[in-house]
Amino acid sequence: MNAIDGTDRHIKTENAPPPSLLAIVLDTNPHAWAEISSTTALSLTSTISALLVFINAHLASGNANEVVVIASHTHKAAWLYPTPKGTAPSHHNSNGDIEMNGTQPTAPSVRDNPNKYRPFAVVEAAITENLERLFASTSPTHLSSTPTTQIGGALSLALSHIAKATLLSSPHEDTTTNPLSSLADSEGTHTALPPLASRILILSVSGDLANQYIPVMNSIFAAQRKKIPIDILKLAGDAVLLQQASDATGGVYMKPERPEGILQYLMMAFLPDATARRSLYVPIAEGVDFRAACFCHRKVVDVGFVCSICLSIFCSPDLQDNLCLTCGSYLSLRSAQTPAPALIPRKKKKKKRLGGADSTTPGSTPAGGATPMHS
Amino acid sequence: MSASSSQALEYLELLPRNTHTKLYEQPSTVLAIFRCMLPHLAKSIVMAMLYMTGPFAAADMDAWFRPEGRDAKAKALSVLGQLHIILEKQDSARQISFELYKGFANSLRQALTGSGSSRSFGVPSNKPDPNKVDVAFLDEYARKKWENMLFYMVGSTVGLATSSAVAQDVGEGTKQLLRAGNFVKTTHGRVSITREGFAFVLQETNAQVWSLLIVYLKYAPELGMSETDVLSFLFMLGSLELGQDYTTSTLSATQLQMLEDLSAFGIVYRQSKSSPTFYPTRLAVTLTSDSGALQSDATLSALSPTVASGSTRGNKGFIIVETNYRLYAYTSSLLQISILSLFTKLTTRFPNLVSGKLTKESITRAVRLGISSHQIISYLTTYAHAQMQKNSPFIPPTVMDQIRLWEFEGERVETTAGYLIKDFASEKEYEELWDYANSTGVLVWKNDAKRVAFVDRIEMISMFLQKRNKRNEEKG
Repeated sequence: MNAIDGTDRHIKTENAPPPSLLAIVLDTNPHAWAEISSTTALSLTSTISALLVFINAHLASGNANEVVVIASHTHKAAWLYPTPKGTAPSHHNSNGDIEMNGTQPTAPSVRDNPNKYRPFAVVEAAITENLERLFASTSPTHLSSTPTTQIGGALSLALSHIAKATLLSSPHEDTTTNPLSSLADSEGTHTALPPLASRILILSVSGDLANQYIPVMNSIFAAQRKKIPIDILKLAGDAVLLQQASDATGGVYMKPERPEGILQYLMMAFLPDATARRSLYVPIAEGVDFRAACFCHRKVVDVGFVCSICLSIFCSPDLQDNLCLTCGSYLSLRSAQTPAPALIPRKKKKKKRLGGADSTTPGSTPAGGATPMHS
Repeated sequence: MSASSSQALEYLELLPRNTHTKLYEQPSTVLAIFRCMLPHLAKSIVMAMLYMTGPFAAADMDAWFRPEGRDAKAKALSVLGQLHIILEKQDSARQISFELYKGFANSLRQALTGSGSSRSFGVPSNKPDPNKVDVAFLDEYARKKWENMLFYMVGSTVGLATSSAVAQDVGEGTKQLLRAGNFVKTTHGRVSITREGFAFVLQETNAQVWSLLIVYLKYAPELGMSETDVLSFLFMLGSLELGQDYTTSTLSATQLQMLEDLSAFGIVYRQSKSSPTFYPTRLAVTLTSDSGALQSDATLSALSPTVASGSTRGNKGFIIVETNYRLYAYTSSLLQISILSLFTKLTTRFPNLVSGKLTKESITRAVRLGISSHQIISYLTTYAHAQMQKNSPFIPPTVMDQIRLWEFEGERVETTAGYLIKDFASEKEYEELWDYANSTGVLVWKNDAKRVAFVDRIEMISMFLQKRNKRNEEKG
């Protein structure tokens, strides 16, 4: 009888978990993989097969789940799935749109196997094909030019895809066609349909990424704002930046001791989506290294100099013409260098790590000057 | 897990273990059950255990869950136990651990990796079909068949004159099945719909398909088919590709027989009874993916408005309800109008719109016919117009409450079928039991003073009691 007022009961009916979009950034840096294959039992091939099983498991976990795979290679970031339009050579039938227009005849290579669930086969075929194409297009000059990987570009690709997918899946198109209706709606009552829950998984093998500090950091902040967790599976190397990424966005961080068992790590720690993570404990980064990289030489610095206008970080105070390299405002850092360390007032955020230095002169800090402090 | 698959889950849970074991031999079945029958957390648990080398100790699993997820975990584990997916073991040191049943785990691994040679995901026809049909045709075909059947049920009750003409298209087998499922009853040669029938009609299409198929499943042994065969074929249908023709040469006799019945419902399409190929329609391929169906239909309607217009399937919202009880429905489908007229006082009809009002009279009339307020509200919610879906809840709360109140005016007592558990030996025993029942969501009522509890499902509770008795015996 007391169930007549069913308003609250009714809101609960929509409690099916929202579809989740998983963007996977696969680090295909050949330098790093060569090293891993020589030291452990893990190889790129076995990693990819584990990854494919993981993708299938993700797709099976929700009917509307989607997946995006991006390779972060040495000289560029490339789509593995879905295959972008226009890049697929015409003699291949399988473009990334197979699922969308089911009427089109699809590549026979995909269709053959009656032991495989179709959507799985489509993803698998696209990924293997695109990987082959990527490797075929890599020339020795590309490899020798840089030892690292384009994680920044790959992250931006993932984020832009997620943004587009979120827009597409948001309930109704009316708001875009009629801007006034969105104004009228702005009073709170919004989107009863579950939005798309997205997350990014970076499978990283490369070590030092400091040379891409700025683009990666920008992506991290964008992800943080959009509440997209960045999960990191670090198979080799150690990158300060990625620890910060998972820490800032609330993602999973894992550096397995036995990378051969990658599939089990993926299945247990990385498969649960946002809904499931509310009831599970997931591994997070411990002892995150918060050091930043300088903007001038892309080095991780313990002690840096910060522009008071744009907050750019520099490793040395010797700037050309006393102008900030990023925003061009006047910045005289020489004065910051002169005082002895014991007198340095503490006020900058950037130096959390050096908590040990005694700074007992709180009143003496000149708050005004455009001088980044040396701590 | 959605509302439509939950009734399939209920059916599956009641199957005996042998049937489960046999079912799990097919990777497609296992994948389909995993995809749409399991609660969300259960999926995480299964996947975490799938490639584990040893059993998963209960203590470790507890450590994996946050305190606030404990209820969800208990629920997930009980479903997994019921379906015979997970096995709870106790080793010599009395440590409880969990393990996946071998058959289920193997099949799921095969499904994920695409290995094995079960050919359970359908064998596509390798010969190009001279009269190949396209997706639009299949959609139209399925829609017509399904609507005809619904109209057969609703039409005569509402008294639309055209009903006799439509009913011609409904096969004798389908009619028989509808009667067997107690969806319609025939009195004096006139077909009238039952309470169950209303529940059926007011559901979304996907749930309807499942309800009908479950009736079919219960009916199957009488036709000499094995339940397992029928079920695995249904799950296979769910994993096929729309617009692709599949060969019938690899199907068993039971499955061929089924194919004929299913084409009568519009779930599969065959050119003729002897044709060597068959096409699954959208009704089939969305059996195991309901939310996907919704989306693909949205794109479909964008591509070809002719297919979607007046379509009952695909949950395209068309109903607007205002707080003043006025109702507008953008539809020209006779079926939808007749369903609406069951509980609405329709006043005006335009080419693409009918309008009316929800009145006390119309609602109580519907209640007398056997429709519950819950069904009406869920129907209105399911087909709420896009504009309404921006609100939360979709239907104005005042309207929902009023519909309920109108219904309750007539019936002051609500009944729940279930089991009373009493005569507990100790307070602790009683507390443990109701706590367990509460966490699994089967507890309906309890009285602490009298130490009695009332539950609506007994299977899990009896298993729990058995386990506890065994434990007590071991201790004692």
